[in-house]
Amino acid sequence: MNTYTETLYDSYGQEFAVDKVYFENKTDHQHLIIFENAKFGRVMALDGIIQTTEADEFIYHEMLTHVPLMAHGNVKRVLIVGGGDGGMLREVSKHSSVEHITQVEIDLQVVDMCKEFLPSHSAGAYDDPRVNIVIDDGANFVRECADKFDVIISDSTDPIGPGDVLFTSDFYENCKNCLTDEGVLVTQNGVAFMQLDEVTTTAKRLQPYFSDQTFYTAAVPTYIGGVMSFAWASNNKNLRSVSVETIQKRFDEAKINCRYYNPAIHMASFALPQYIISALEAD
Amino acid sequence: MINRITIESKEKAEFYQQMVKVHGSPLLILDCDQLVKQVNALSSALPGVSLFYAIKSLPDASAIQTLDKLGVGFDIASSGEIELLRSQGGRARQTIHTHPIKRDEDIRDALRFGCTTFVIDNVWELEKFVEYRHRVGLLVRVSFPNPDIAIDLSRKFGCKPDEVSLLIKKAESLGLHVKGLSFHAGSQCADSGNHVYAIEQCTKIIDEVYQSSGKLLSVLDIGGGFPVEYMQSVMDIESFCKPVRKALEALPEHIQIIAEPGRFLSASAMVSVSRVMGKARRGEATWYYLDDGVYGSFSGQIFDHVQYPLTIFSDSKQTENAVLAGPTCDSIDVIAENINMPPLAIGDIVVGKQMGAYTSASSTQFNLFDKAKIVAINQVVTQDNKVIQI
Repeated sequence: MNTYTETLYDSYGQEFAVDKVYFENKTDHQHLIIFENAKFGRVMALDGIIQTTEADEFIYHEMLTHVPLMAHGNVKRVLIVGGGDGGMLREVSKHSSVEHITQVEIDLQVVDMCKEFLPSHSAGAYDDPRVNIVIDDGANFVRECADKFDVIISDSTDPIGPGDVLFTSDFYENCKNCLTDEGVLVTQNGVAFMQLDEVTTTAKRLQPYFSDQTFYTAAVPTYIGGVMSFAWASNNKNLRSVSVETIQKRFDEAKINCRYYNPAIHMASFALPQYIISALEAD
Repeated sequence: MINRITIESKEKAEFYQQMVKVHGSPLLILDCDQLVKQVNALSSALPGVSLFYAIKSLPDASAIQTLDKLGVGFDIASSGEIELLRSQGGRARQTIHTHPIKRDEDIRDALRFGCTTFVIDNVWELEKFVEYRHRVGLLVRVSFPNPDIAIDLSRKFGCKPDEVSLLIKKAESLGLHVKGLSFHAGSQCADSGNHVYAIEQCTKIIDEVYQSSGKLLSVLDIGGGFPVEYMQSVMDIESFCKPVRKALEALPEHIQIIAEPGRFLSASAMVSVSRVMGKARRGEATWYYLDDGVYGSFSGQIFDHVQYPLTIFSDSKQTENAVLAGPTCDSIDVIAENINMPPLAIGDIVVGKQMGAYTSASSTQFNLFDKAKIVAINQVVTQDNKVIQI
């Protein structure tokens, strides 16, 4: 029986039975693989780290999309940084009120490959006429971008490898400059129990540019080790004090089907475990 | 002392002539069967010890495929070795990065490949891992100098035994996990005395660390150094390892023992085949100019301090004083001199034995002579699932 072992940690890890390999690329100094697993469906891994699986991707993509969009309530323009698998685009394009989506992906091949081998991630969203795909380094794009967005979603890989520039102070500052005054930046920020200093480091780097900075969480099974944290950064404090009733109303009006997200989850996801609060206070 | 030159009958050259006909010369023939035999020999001599092949000794795709299939892990030291391993599908979980001194990009490349075990021997190196502290497990390399051998691997790397506990304390304070110790008793060791001494000292250190701080170490990497026969006979691997096994018995039961054989696995698995490019009578000797020399596959004569047993093929009873030289313009490029052997003709074959380790690995392209091509034989299955027939 073939297996795939994640190598994110030296002393702990997850292993998948590989029923069939759909795609494997060992060139370009990286190892990318997409395979079939009985429990998780199609699994994509890059450089020994699980990136996404068909079975649990909805949790991640729904939470990085609907939490900021519902909190804002009037989002017209969205910027997605990374997210080559198309899952984030699929969720954002569910919002009929959104007028424009720019997605910046560093590697066009990732987009093409995911369309072919992970088709249910994008589910046709790349054909949405509101979408503008830019092939560029996300850090570079926000540095030079003159446009403004209501929501920026950073859907990056881990800080080792091509994604590391998306965790820098420069990137966060440039994101601020691309946001409308009422806007919000959300980012993938790792599994806090396993990598607590990713949370404290990100907080330190975001706070100089945003008056309201915190994290929210969701448990994604294949991002192992506990809840995944998402960074939240905005200069509009009101976004986090919207009542559950208002969120419910917006959610009903948006007519979006979700499998993880709902207004109660929205409110609850900002409640942080004490170990994260303590780490943030100590730093 | 073994005779430098073995003379065999001309008909015995047929296999090599066939190989040269197909693949050209100079040539290195890798016998994957022999790799398997060496793995089996070392595994029986060191039961319970996990083997990690030191890729540096012979960084070859077929060798890696063969060893990977046997469940052998890999000892890597550079991003180039990682790339080779990656291209051959080597399992990252079975890989240790053993270079004590690394750049940040080396660490990142290894992590991206999926290798999470690293070796350090000082505080500066330790600090490089702070950024990756959640991802890695470290081995502290300890130095046990061996003055008796040609290649002392404890001079350039390794901390002193009495520095270990301070390094571990420092690691703990930085949030880094040290999971064990490693040492290199030497290369091509005459006996296992230094291995035994190092194991005994490490056993003590492991105990002291636990007693003083409660820190549990779980890995001991006993390195390589297992000898192979070149011009001098060496202890057989079973006799060499017997005292090692005894010393390892004193370790706490939970300690996982690993070794990094390079030479022992690869040396005997490869032979070189070169041809006489030209000859000349100079003074009392006949000079033969081969198409491989000390800038090529015989580079181990310079870097590895090794002389390789040579075989020529002749049915003549007559012998004369001869010099075997390499193809380059440099006068240092001489493989063997003052040897008595039957005369060779231009185009005749000279075979070098025990040419697997640190030969091709350190060969150059001086004068822009091509490196000898490596051809694998007896490899069960290649990457595209073809069986290579000889």
